[in-house]
Amino acid sequence: MAHAPAVAHGGGHTTSTGTENRKLLMWIFLGSECLFFGSLIATYLVFKHQVIERGIGPFPVDVTIDGVSHHGILDIPLTSTSTFVLLMSSVTMVLAVYGAQHARMKMMKLGLLATMVLGLTFLGFQVYEFRTFGHEGLNLTTNLFGATFFVLTGFHGTHVGVGVLYLGSMLAASFRRNGLGRDTGAHVEIAGLYWHFVDIVWIVIFTVLYLIP
Amino acid sequence: MAHSAEPMEQQHGLSPMQYLAIGAGLTLITIVELWVSYSGLGSLQIPLLLFLSAIKFAVVVGWFMHLRFDHRLLTQVFAASLTLAILITIVLLTLYWSADADSIRGYREWLASG
Repeated sequence: MAHAPAVAHGGGHTTSTGTENRKLLMWIFLGSECLFFGSLIATYLVFKHQVIERGIGPFPVDVTIDGVSHHGILDIPLTSTSTFVLLMSSVTMVLAVYGAQHARMKMMKLGLLATMVLGLTFLGFQVYEFRTFGHEGLNLTTNLFGATFFVLTGFHGTHVGVGVLYLGSMLAASFRRNGLGRDTGAHVEIAGLYWHFVDIVWIVIFTVLYLIP
Repeated sequence: MAHSAEPMEQQHGLSPMQYLAIGAGLTLITIVELWVSYSGLGSLQIPLLLFLSAIKFAVVVGWFMHLRFDHRLLTQVFAASLTLAILITIVLLTLYWSADADSIRGYREWLASG
């Protein structure tokens, strides 16, 4: 006998396992993103090693080749600051989710707005870094380090940009007469999952690209 | 029969102050990471940095993404994907770094031959 799908309190349907189907879908999507970023990080590590071995700069870290010292192009203090900004955006996002789930709409809206501002600030740091690298002669076609670095961090930045737009759409919808509807908690929580994922990817990128020599 | 619905608007148990405290903890770990990256701890440096990064990763996934409080299926979905991603990274690094040694040697010989 066929059963009608169960409906969660927020109005969304659940899967037969009891989990809300949109949330499960988002987790599956994030799982596929793990594979995507895992491949990009592996590719970066492979080619970073090759660039240093082949001696074609600019280089990510300080190296001495045939007695000539080359300074590393990565600016760790600057990136640490942008990492802090992105970490704080995760805090404001989780507060927005808390607000949405506890019918504290002002808290939710402020949280979403703060997260967007912090996300845009992070993107500003990234644009500044890319421009600085450009001035120092590193671009997508300079060497394999440039190619893999810009592709990896560029894709991450694109994800941040998409996240800002996603949160912006949530914030705009929250000002409508009916707000985000009965599903407010679910909508914001699922958006939060995406945003936190962008943060955890950066946690890995920051360590692997910038901190590990 | 379908299982009972898991309410989306459930309370996950943490208060805003606790979230702020977790945020402060994450900031502290980032500062420690920076210190480790400049400290020149030798062979301990990379494992320590990876360990600290893994803690931050786990805290965000467990508490901010609520995986610790959610249905176990979600943890399984994410853990399976993450394991595959880590395996892909290890396999790619192993493949390329072993092949790379030959290619670099050949490149240097080619340069030396003029």
